[in-house]
Amino acid sequence: MGGDESYSKFTQQELPACKPILTPKWVVSVFFLVGIIFVPVGVVSLLAARDVVEIVDRYDDACVPANMTDNKLAYIQNPNISKDCTRTLTITEDMKQPIFVYYQLDNFYQNHRRYVKSRNDGQLRDAAKANQTSACEPEKTTADGKPIVPCGLIAWSLFNDTYSFTRGNENLTVDKKDISWKSDREHKFGKNVYPSNFQNGLLKGGGTLDPAIPLSEQEDLIVWMRTAALPTFRKLYGRIYVDLKKNDTITVRLSNNYNTYNFGGKKKLVLSTATWLGGKNDFLGFAYVIVGGLCFFLAFAFTLLYFIKPRKLGDHNYLSWNRHPAGR
Amino acid sequence: MASERPLLDASPRPPPPPPPPASSLLPPPQQEPPLRADRLAFSLDVPDPFRREDHPQQQQPDASRSVVVGDPSAAAAAAAGFAGNAIRTAKYSVLTFLPRNLFEQFRRLSYVYFLAITVLNQLPQVAVFGRGASVLPLAFVLFVTAVKDAYEDFRRHRSDRQENNRLARVLAAFSAPGGGEFPPKKWKHIRVGDVVRVASSETLPADMVLLATSDPSGVAHVQTVNLDGETNLKTRYAKQETQVRFSQDGSVGGVLHCERPNRNIYGFQANLEIDGKRVSLGPSNIVLRGCELKNTTWAIGVVVYAGKETKVMLNSSGAPSKRSRLETQLNRETVILSIMLIGMCTTASVLAGIWILNHRGDLELTQFFREKDYTTGKNYNYYGMGMQIFITFLMAVIVYQVIIPISLYISMELVRLGQAYFMGADKDLYDESSRSKFQCRALNINEDLGQIKYVFSDKTGTLTENKMEFQCASIRGVDYCSGKDSCGYSVVVDDLLWTPKMAVRTDPQLLKLLRSGGTDEETKLALEFFLALAACNTIVPLVLDTRDSKQKLIDYQGESPDEQALVYAAASYGIVLVERTSGYVVIDVLGDRQRFDILGLHEFDSDRKRMSVIVGCPNKTVKLYVKGADSSLFGITKSSLDLDIVRATEAHLHKYSSLGLRTLVVGMRELSLPEFEEWQLAYENASTAVLGRGNLLRSVAANIENNIHILGATGIEDKLQDGVPEAIESLRQADIKVWILTGDKQETAISIGYSCKLLTNDMTQIVINSNSKESCKRSLEEALATAKKLRITSSTGTLSPELASESAGITLALIIDGNSLVYILETELQEELFKVARECSVVLCCRVAPLQKAGIVALIKNRTDDMTLAIGDGANDVSMIQMADVGVGISGQEGRQAVMASDFAMGQFRFLVPLLLVHGHWNYQRMSYMILYNFYKNATFVLVLFWYVLYTAFTLTTAITEWSSLLYTVLYTSLPTIVVGILDKDLSKETLLAYPKLYGSGQRDEKYNVNLFVLNMLEALWQSLVIFYIPYFAYRQSTIDMSSLGDLWALAPVIVVNMLLAMDIFRWNWIVHAFVWGTIAATTICLFVIDSIWVLPGYGCPRKLNAFMSLHAMVPHFVIKAFSEHFIPSDIQIAREIEKSENVNLVNRSEVSMTRLDDPRR
Repeated sequence: MGGDESYSKFTQQELPACKPILTPKWVVSVFFLVGIIFVPVGVVSLLAARDVVEIVDRYDDACVPANMTDNKLAYIQNPNISKDCTRTLTITEDMKQPIFVYYQLDNFYQNHRRYVKSRNDGQLRDAAKANQTSACEPEKTTADGKPIVPCGLIAWSLFNDTYSFTRGNENLTVDKKDISWKSDREHKFGKNVYPSNFQNGLLKGGGTLDPAIPLSEQEDLIVWMRTAALPTFRKLYGRIYVDLKKNDTITVRLSNNYNTYNFGGKKKLVLSTATWLGGKNDFLGFAYVIVGGLCFFLAFAFTLLYFIKPRKLGDHNYLSWNRHPAGR
Repeated sequence: MASERPLLDASPRPPPPPPPPASSLLPPPQQEPPLRADRLAFSLDVPDPFRREDHPQQQQPDASRSVVVGDPSAAAAAAAGFAGNAIRTAKYSVLTFLPRNLFEQFRRLSYVYFLAITVLNQLPQVAVFGRGASVLPLAFVLFVTAVKDAYEDFRRHRSDRQENNRLARVLAAFSAPGGGEFPPKKWKHIRVGDVVRVASSETLPADMVLLATSDPSGVAHVQTVNLDGETNLKTRYAKQETQVRFSQDGSVGGVLHCERPNRNIYGFQANLEIDGKRVSLGPSNIVLRGCELKNTTWAIGVVVYAGKETKVMLNSSGAPSKRSRLETQLNRETVILSIMLIGMCTTASVLAGIWILNHRGDLELTQFFREKDYTTGKNYNYYGMGMQIFITFLMAVIVYQVIIPISLYISMELVRLGQAYFMGADKDLYDESSRSKFQCRALNINEDLGQIKYVFSDKTGTLTENKMEFQCASIRGVDYCSGKDSCGYSVVVDDLLWTPKMAVRTDPQLLKLLRSGGTDEETKLALEFFLALAACNTIVPLVLDTRDSKQKLIDYQGESPDEQALVYAAASYGIVLVERTSGYVVIDVLGDRQRFDILGLHEFDSDRKRMSVIVGCPNKTVKLYVKGADSSLFGITKSSLDLDIVRATEAHLHKYSSLGLRTLVVGMRELSLPEFEEWQLAYENASTAVLGRGNLLRSVAANIENNIHILGATGIEDKLQDGVPEAIESLRQADIKVWILTGDKQETAISIGYSCKLLTNDMTQIVINSNSKESCKRSLEEALATAKKLRITSSTGTLSPELASESAGITLALIIDGNSLVYILETELQEELFKVARECSVVLCCRVAPLQKAGIVALIKNRTDDMTLAIGDGANDVSMIQMADVGVGISGQEGRQAVMASDFAMGQFRFLVPLLLVHGHWNYQRMSYMILYNFYKNATFVLVLFWYVLYTAFTLTTAITEWSSLLYTVLYTSLPTIVVGILDKDLSKETLLAYPKLYGSGQRDEKYNVNLFVLNMLEALWQSLVIFYIPYFAYRQSTIDMSSLGDLWALAPVIVVNMLLAMDIFRWNWIVHAFVWGTIAATTICLFVIDSIWVLPGYGCPRKLNAFMSLHAMVPHFVIKAFSEHFIPSDIQIAREIEKSENVNLVNRSEVSMTRLDDPRR
């Protein structure tokens, strides 16, 4: 213990501090401020979401031949039945390019614990680690023990439906370049890693890969392997750099290869424009508008309450022992 | 302390055995204290200075040890197993550190839980987190604790080594080279039987029996500050037999038989066989390890107890650990959370089972499940539905374990450490006069200070200063009380002026009478009176040099402040005690130096309540001087004589004690030669007995102490400490009941009650002092009836406000004495007493023994949920301090035993007010908030994880990376709560002191209760729903991947819970700002860093900052807060507004500083 000067404001817990108190003025202004910020933000996002044109077409049921609707599993498992299918879409609003082509799967748990772990990032990145297949069970090696590249359930279940679009006689080219994340292509999938022993097992889970193309250029695989967060998800298939007019009729030729009939999953094709905000989802906009509106309401409600039942701040008479003077 | 401490002697003694009930003769009085102690369930590890060590069973011959003086090897051969003098306080060695430390750590349940989770995670089927990530938190905690323990142990090792390697001079065997000399030897090599020479100011290496000292009469002075903190000198004696033998030819010898090592610092019994004689040894012949030799050039002693068997080592056990109430309540909430955890795990696993049931046929082909491994053809990691449910359950436990906030325990310890630091640094708790800081001895009950409802206070030394000042004398029925000016009196010795250190106010009339030199009876008796004061004590005068070479200062050193006051008083009247040796005292009687032989001394004991000396006067007469409590002395007066004087003295005594003075009666008897010789024989026999010496001496004393002439009585003032009345007033305003437990007489206790404003004139006093169980019962019933009557009048009075305020003024005060308590405590009457005491606003217990103090505390503690605090300063308060929920020790005049047993120690009683009202309030508020907040924040996070499981086919995938989920509790959210727990203040110190009633929030459990817990859980539920579902709905049916959404779900709770904390913080200083905003920033940075490591799946995720949209979740909290603060304001809220609008600091300064408003003496 030195002299008085050694007792700083810190040790006496007397540091200069701000002591906010929720006075009526503060409460009402906070509600107003939040309302003033939230409502416009909400309105803008709602407008943006409205601008997005989205065409969704579910084709998994429609593409099953009429005679096989009772046994879809047999249809999809039989390699001799042609999986080609043609769908016709009518454009509801004008769509500005680029138009994004997505496929959407419902009820497909890409976040299932067994599934999400079943990959080996080292193997994907580095050709020297081709033998590194830990965590890839049950799709690790071929029956004779050769490592599968890329191993694991995720790669094994690669989505393999394909789509091509025509408007009248005009072929709408789907640009499949640059559909995956640049960071994935550059850092997670190796430029000199080539598929081997892939999809050679007894049970085929999905698409095959061209063993001559390195993984970093297999963009469909890269997209597929960035696992979706929720059981209903979209994945980018490609982009169409053509403006579409209202009432245009688009013919889609697709090959319906991927088996979702087994677990009741749905497959949808989605054409969508995009805005700065993302896709056609007005939930956020509504949330902001509603909360903002609520804040306006609360601002008024509190103003009213403060008028009906005012209380002088810091009035000694409100202290409990002054309100009930009987107690000692 | 109290007063139990007999007015004469400060050293703690066994409590007086309660008078045996008339009917039962069975339990011998000596055994009573330990029995009672056991019934009160004291921990047996606690050093108990009250426990008598002289039980017959402990004196059996085989229970003693024999030491051959000067021959350690023979001693060792005779009885193996004497401890060496090396000590070891360190717990670990390099080899044993790891296993022992881990063992110690895992005795904490929370760590076992941690470990179980980690082990569970290592099973391949259940592994949720990667191995490294899952071990990390546990390893971190263990490592930090281990480093702390290692450092502490290292310091203990170092001090052990220093201690063991200190040097002492030990007599070499005569056969060895250098025989007969004292070469230096390391402490650790000293053995029992060694003869050690200690010089002045050296520390004693072991417990030794004194053989000889530089003083020809064999006196040595020791300071026991290291042992019990008492700074005054204590006198110890070498026996004449050994002293003489050593001074003749420098030889030592003999065989010493002593009792086994025990922890009684104040007891020792042994005898020494030397030259064919048996010499008895007692506590005054032993000097203990850790003491320092003072004012004695050298002393020689033989080691009887060494190393770990020394009394100081046997007494060095830590304070018993207490648990705070908040922590006990927290366990209840932990149970609720465990049930929630099990519920969530069961839900997840049952749903997982149902999912598997529904998809049983599909599992083989479903791409994201694929049951079989076709290379082996067997099922992979699928063991059928039952097993799958079980595994899911275990995994769920691992994923959701965070809901039980293990890190909370670590945070709490850190917060308490910080709080303790600030309490220690508070200058309002710093005692200038004794230069003592506030000490937090128990680190785990800080927050209990905010919930106290009962304060049990000792009187002497706690409420009062325990600096005794002689005030009044009544001599032969004449009251001399008008002392005004203090005139020092000096004596001339060898041309030097010797002046007593303190002068006492003297009565001019009495002074004149003494100085007149008259030979009438009155003057003679007045002289006898002061001679008795000067001689009948154990005070040692120390002569100190002053700057003036012509002047010397006499400092009276002694164990009892009362005796000091009396000797100083005698000196001021001209009867100056100049010298004391074991055999005689020199007293300067009005300028004439006379030598009085001290032929025998009967020490004070609490049965007799008196002490006496047998003095051989210069005129060859032999006199017995006695002083003691009035009750004890009036019983042994010559009843036929002195009736008037006795009556007058009694009247004066009554007057003194109603002034609040401590009273003492002095008596004298002249002994005839046959009487003296008879006594001498008995005394010598008794004092050399080894068995039952105490009892023998007592009976010798009782035989001689009769037919006493009353010389007079003294009144000694024990001043109230500064600010005591104000402090008690503040405590009572805070609805804390203050009980005073004192050993003083009833009148003294009541007058102290008045002077410290505990009692006021408008109180109805209920006095209970009964001598039988029946009358106790009657008094209690009457008291209860009175209380009821008063309550009825006051409750009917509430109909009209005037009457209500009037009757509210009538409060009850219960005054009860120790005699009555004997019949009440530990019997069925306890319940009655409890009822009466609850009705009373003031309770005063007088004449209580130490264990009764504990019994009274237990009376309240066991029957209510109310928190109790005991405050005291003396050894007789130890049991009470340990019994109460919170024990506070005053580091005062009476040694440090109370401090050693206490949870908090401080210098002054008045510090109790800032300690409870300010720090207690803060600690409680901070800790409560921190606990609730930790529950809330972890629950929010876990619930977010839980909602996600509903969308992963119930397979417990976490979108949040394992690193983020582990860092959430450790880094993302813990630091701000710790800082807030240490620094936030709801109200300023000034406000809290100005409005003591604000303390009620802690007493009523307002800041931590089940309702608040449920509210917090609901808040967590709501916020987790918002945090989870806003991103869910915003990104459903989009291309969003798991890592991106996971980052959102990791960042959003961090923002939300930190914003909630920010909303609840009362005081924003720069430290709080830095930690709250810094944490949010650090979390964001962390997430970016984690995502820029391309090994991890989240690499390159954008869109994290959208997490701020979860701020929608804050709206309800803000609404509730704004509404409740304005329309149903708590007192604290109002006080905060007052604090902001007015300047409380200025308005109430005068009230706060608690300067003495008036002289609190009367």
